[in-house]
Amino acid sequence: MKGLRIGLTLRVVAVIVVLGLAVFPLYWMFVTALTSNADLFGQDARLIPDFSQFGVFVDALADGKATGWLLNSLTIAAGTTVLSIGLGIPLGYALSRFRFRGKAVMTIVLLFTQMLPEALMVVPLFALFRRFELLDSLTGLVLANSAFVLPIVALILKGAIDGIPNELDEAGRVDGARPFTVLTRINIPLIAPSIAASAVIAFFHAWNEYVFAVTFIFNPEIQPASVGIANFIGELGTPIQTVMAVAFMFTLPAVVFYLFVQRYVVAGMTAGAVKG
Amino acid sequence: MKTLPFHRRATAATSIIALTAALLVGCTSDSGSEDGVTTVTFAASTFGDPGRGPQLLEWLDEFNTSQNAIRVAAAAVPYPTFGQTVLTQMGSGRGPDLIRFDMPEFEAASEAGLIAPLDDVIDVSKYKLLEQPDKFMIHGGVRHGIIFEASNYAMFYNADLIPNPPTNYQEFFDTARSLTKGDVFGLAFRQTEAEEAGVWQDIFNYVYGFGGAWSDGTNLTINSPKNLEGLQAYKDLYDANVIPRGADAATFRRMFAEGKVGMELNNGGYVTATRGQNADLNFSVAPIPFPVRSQGSILAPIVINKASPAQDAAATFIRWALEPENQVKLQEILGASSVATVTERSAESLQETPFLTVFDELTPSSLPQIVLGFEAKTPDIRKVVVQNVIAALQGTVDLKTALDRAQQQATELVG
Repeated sequence: MKGLRIGLTLRVVAVIVVLGLAVFPLYWMFVTALTSNADLFGQDARLIPDFSQFGVFVDALADGKATGWLLNSLTIAAGTTVLSIGLGIPLGYALSRFRFRGKAVMTIVLLFTQMLPEALMVVPLFALFRRFELLDSLTGLVLANSAFVLPIVALILKGAIDGIPNELDEAGRVDGARPFTVLTRINIPLIAPSIAASAVIAFFHAWNEYVFAVTFIFNPEIQPASVGIANFIGELGTPIQTVMAVAFMFTLPAVVFYLFVQRYVVAGMTAGAVKG
Repeated sequence: MKTLPFHRRATAATSIIALTAALLVGCTSDSGSEDGVTTVTFAASTFGDPGRGPQLLEWLDEFNTSQNAIRVAAAAVPYPTFGQTVLTQMGSGRGPDLIRFDMPEFEAASEAGLIAPLDDVIDVSKYKLLEQPDKFMIHGGVRHGIIFEASNYAMFYNADLIPNPPTNYQEFFDTARSLTKGDVFGLAFRQTEAEEAGVWQDIFNYVYGFGGAWSDGTNLTINSPKNLEGLQAYKDLYDANVIPRGADAATFRRMFAEGKVGMELNNGGYVTATRGQNADLNFSVAPIPFPVRSQGSILAPIVINKASPAQDAAATFIRWALEPENQVKLQEILGASSVATVTERSAESLQETPFLTVFDELTPSSLPQIVLGFEAKTPDIRKVVVQNVIAALQGTVDLKTALDRAQQQATELVG
C-alpha cells in the first residue's frame, strides 16, 4: 500500500514537472504581454501578470489585422491537414498493401524528401508557382505545405496499415468488399490514432510555417500569423508586449486543435477494447 | 458491415474541416488591379518602425489621394528576412514594384540585373540631389536608385544620465563603465550572429572611427592594424560587461527609451523611433568620440523592380516623392535623416530637435556600409567578418587570428 502511494506521488510529480515544462513558455508569453515597460526592463523578473495592462490584447485585435492573420493561418493549416491526410491515406495504403515495381525506391524517395530543408526549395517552388499562378494565394501555400508534409504522413500511415493483419482485408474481400471499401471500412477505423497523430503533425507544420509564407505571399491581407508577427519586428524597434500578446493568441488555436484531435486518438485506441 | 460510432464522428469532423478549408480557400483572391487603377506595391522595412512606420503610410496615402490613376500599397515584408525575401522574389521574376533597399542588398540586386534603370524615366537634372550619397546610386553610368533616406551615425546619449557627453574613446569607455550598475547599462550594441547586418553596421563605426577600412578599393584590408585597433576597442567594451549581452537591438533600444541604457551609436532615423517609444526621454546626440571623424551612414535607395509590370506607375511615384514639398514632409517623418534632395530644416524642427545639425555636419565624413571596390560582394564579406568577430567576442579565438582568418576566407570568396 505504501509502495503504491510513493509510486502515485512520483507519477504526479513527474506529470506536474512535464506539464510545467510544456506550459511555462506559454505562461511566460502571457506574463510578458501583461508587463509594463518599467517592469519589463527592471532588475527583478515579474512572475505574475499585471492585468491592468490587458489593453495590449485589445489593441492588438483592434484593427482586425491579427484576427485576419489567425484566420489565414487556420485556412492554411486546415487545408494542409485535409489535403495531406486525404492523399496520405491512399498512398500509405498502396505502399503497404500493393505490390508494384519501384515500391522500395518510392519509399526511399519519400524519406529523402524529408531531408531537404525548405529554404532549398524556395526558389524552384517560386518559379513553379509563378508559372501556375499560385503565388500570393492561400491555395498555393496549402499545396506547398502539403507537398512537404505528405511524405511523412504517408509513411506514418503505411506503418500503421502494416500493423493490421492481412486476414481482416481478406475477410472483407470474401464479403465482397472492393479495395476502396476495405480501406474505408476496415483500415481507416483501425488506424484512426495514426491518422490523428498525422493530422497533428500536418496541422502544426502548416500553422508554424514561415519561409514559404513570407516569400510566396505579397498581399498583407492574406499573410498568415507566422509572418504577421514577424512584421512587428522593426529595424529600429519592436513592441515586445504586442508581439507576445499576438504570439500568445497564435498558440491557442493550435492547442485547441490538438485537444480536439486527442479525443479521437484516445477513442481510436480504445475502440474495440471491450469486444470479445 | 456495421459502421462504428467513432467512424461517423471522425467522418463528420473531417467533413467539417474540409468544408471550412474549402470555403475559406475559395473566398481568398489574389491581389490585382481594379477599376483601371494601377496598384503599385512598395516594400520597405521602415513601415514596421514605431513612430516612423505609421507616418510613412500616411505619406503614401497623400500620394494616393493626389491622383486617381495609381495606388501605392505598402507590401509588408518582415525586417528580419527583408533582403533575402525580396531578392528571392525579384530573382524569380516577381516581387514588389518599388523597394527601399539597404546598400548591401541594393548592390547585390544591381549587379544581378534585378533593378530597372531610372535614367529614362526620371530626369534628375530637375532636382538638387545630395551629391555625396547620390554618387553611390550609379553603376557603370546607369542610375539604379534614388536616395530615399541617408542617415549618418552618431552617438545617442541619455542626457539625464550623462550631462557631458564623452569626447574621446577613453571617456566613452569610462562613462560606459561608471553607468553600468543594477539594471542600467552604460552602452549597448549588437553582438550576436542572429543580427549579422546589425553587427556589421555597429562594427563599421569602430573600424572607420579608428582609421581603418575594409578595403583599399582594390584589395581587402580586413586584418589591417587599424581595423584590429578599432575592433579591439569594440571587444574591450564587450569584455568590460558594460552592455546588456545577448539583448537584441529591439530589446536594448527599448531599454534606451526606458532610460536603462546610457549610450548607443545609431543613425538619424532612431530619433523618431525613440520618441515613438518614449516621448518624454531626455536624450541628445553628439559625434562618435573615436580618434577619426569617420562613421557609417545608412543609405537606403528606392528602386524599381525590373520585373515589375507597373514600372511607369512606380516612376510616377518616385517623381512625386522628389517634389520639394514631399521631400520636406518625408524628411520630417524620417527625423534626423536626409532625403534625396537638399532641403532646409524648418525652424520648428530645429527648435524641437536642436541636435539635428550634428547629423547634417557629419555628412561629408560618412560612408555607406559597403566594402568599396567589392560592393556587390558586401553581403558575403559581411557574413565572413561578422562570424569571425563574434567568435573572437566569445573567446573561441583571439581577435587577430579571427581577422586573419576573415581576410583569408573573404579573399577566397571574392577571387
